[in-house]
Amino acid sequence: MGTKWRRAVLEGALLCLLFFVIFGPISSLVIWSIAIRWYWPHVLPQEIGLAYWKQALGLQRDWAIAAVSIWGAFGTSMLVALVATALVMTMAIPAGYALARYRVPLKALILLLFLMPKAFPQQPIFVNLLPTFTRWGLAGTVQGVILIHILVCLIFGVWITTSAFKAIPQELEEAARSVGATRWRTFWKVLLPLAAPGLLVSTVFVFITSLTEFTGTFFIGLPFVTTLPMLLYSSSGYNMQFASVIAIVLLIPSLLFMVLIQRVFRPEYMGGIAG
Amino acid sequence: MPKVRLERVTKRYGKVTAVDCLDLTVHEGEILTLLGPSGCGKTTTLRCIAGFVVLDEGHIFLGEEEVTHLPPEKRDIGFVFQNYALWPHMTVYQNLSFGLQLRRIPKEEIRERVQEVLSMVRLSGMEDRYPRQLSGGQQQRVALARALALRPRVLLLDEPLSNLDAKLREEMRFEIRELQRQLGITAIYVTHDQAEALVLSDRIAVLNEGRLVQLGTPEEIYQRPANRFVAGFIGLSSFIEARVTEVEAEMAVLETEDGLHFRVPRDALVEGQAVTLAVRPEHVEVLGGPSGDLENAFQAEVVRAAYLGDSVDCRLRLGKWELRTQLLPGKIPAPGEVLWIYLPPEKLILIPG
Repeated sequence: MGTKWRRAVLEGALLCLLFFVIFGPISSLVIWSIAIRWYWPHVLPQEIGLAYWKQALGLQRDWAIAAVSIWGAFGTSMLVALVATALVMTMAIPAGYALARYRVPLKALILLLFLMPKAFPQQPIFVNLLPTFTRWGLAGTVQGVILIHILVCLIFGVWITTSAFKAIPQELEEAARSVGATRWRTFWKVLLPLAAPGLLVSTVFVFITSLTEFTGTFFIGLPFVTTLPMLLYSSSGYNMQFASVIAIVLLIPSLLFMVLIQRVFRPEYMGGIAG
Repeated sequence: MPKVRLERVTKRYGKVTAVDCLDLTVHEGEILTLLGPSGCGKTTTLRCIAGFVVLDEGHIFLGEEEVTHLPPEKRDIGFVFQNYALWPHMTVYQNLSFGLQLRRIPKEEIRERVQEVLSMVRLSGMEDRYPRQLSGGQQQRVALARALALRPRVLLLDEPLSNLDAKLREEMRFEIRELQRQLGITAIYVTHDQAEALVLSDRIAVLNEGRLVQLGTPEEIYQRPANRFVAGFIGLSSFIEARVTEVEAEMAVLETEDGLHFRVPRDALVEGQAVTLAVRPEHVEVLGGPSGDLENAFQAEVVRAAYLGDSVDCRLRLGKWELRTQLLPGKIPAPGEVLWIYLPPEKLILIPG
């Protein structure tokens, strides 16, 4: 009886801890986003309400509430992220396949090259790029921001797709060729379905990275392109309520993708690949 | 009639020549085995025929048609892989019907042909299983059925049994042989397992270092190996180096450095010629006692003996040479014991050099 009880208590405690670790930070965001008045030393806000949410979502305009409609920035963010993701994956899928399958000269160097934008401090790179972008008329434009996002995201696209294709035994392709499938049909019928989980992970990574990218957008996009992260950074110091609202909005796509991945990952055929 | 013809096929990987100017003809309806140690070029040769590997030099013909530059999907071949290579995201039925659908065969006929090949490999009723739900042996049978369903011009098998356990492997050898005969299909089979090659093949092509070393029926290869490599690779052989000292009407006498004399059939031996004798374990006869004046009888010392259940594997010392032999179980000789042995002249294999 005693051990059973102890075990139940321990399990309960562990669950609570886990719950807290996962939802603790998010719950703080939620509380901040609905706090109208919250002064020290109170543990919880003295006054709560949806004023910041309403204002952020463009449902009201009140000069006393320090928040603006986020729809413009949201639209820009989505546009940039979707276009950047589509372009990155269009490049990454063939590149990943080639790097996984063919003897590409200087393969290690090429893979390293993709890492470069991430391996160096970002600010000097972007500052250095700014004059070039200005000369090309890309500074302060959505196109310029998309380009800079591609630069930042390409590493996730190429590295993850490369390993996704590498995980598929070459014989599976050759078997398809031997029964009469062309290269193209083999790609669609054998390679793509088997690589899909890896490609999806890669797409999600790229999309989330683009959606939350700040540094490059800041240098290249100012002052005309405003994305959600820019809005978030500019309000985070003094306006926790508005910042929390944006932070929660930025979380939504990730949560949606989690659900999507759960549906797409089909363990019954994933198991067969290794064997 | 030649079904597959290789002409001076050469493939290099960097500085390594995997296949070196190989000429080979496979006849209609026969099963030919490419046999050799790993790295001998047998798999590369097979992959050249399939079109997975592009040749550096040479030509490949299937029937009358030159296929050297055709992509694999246009060659009309069936390929069975060592690791089965079944598509894990497709059921057995989908695996078998994929190639048929590509050929735009009507649905009804596809259904019939899938049923037909499935019953051939004794897997009827497994259509809706996924590959991972099948055992290794079943997966390999599906892979075989997938290749057969297309009724290809030639069936290529790349060590298809080496991932299976020993007992299953032995069963499958006969099964593949039986199917190949029933269907009358031309097949090229790659293996490094000499026992498999002997059981399965109409003819065996022994490869070493990218070159064809010997081509012949299993009996020819086993009984008259062309050189020391073949004699050592196929079956067990002990080697004794000697020189021809005397040539008579029907027999010749060989002498080793340490003064042993052997009488062998004369064949085409010339006095003074260097010869290697290959002795198969089963050709060493153990005598009950001293031989009198019998030729080719020797006293040999037991080096060690290992009990194998159905026989005893025994290493003997004969002069400076080591002989391996198989004895009947029962009396296991102790190391150091001296036995009288007899080497029948007609059973000794002579290899020039």
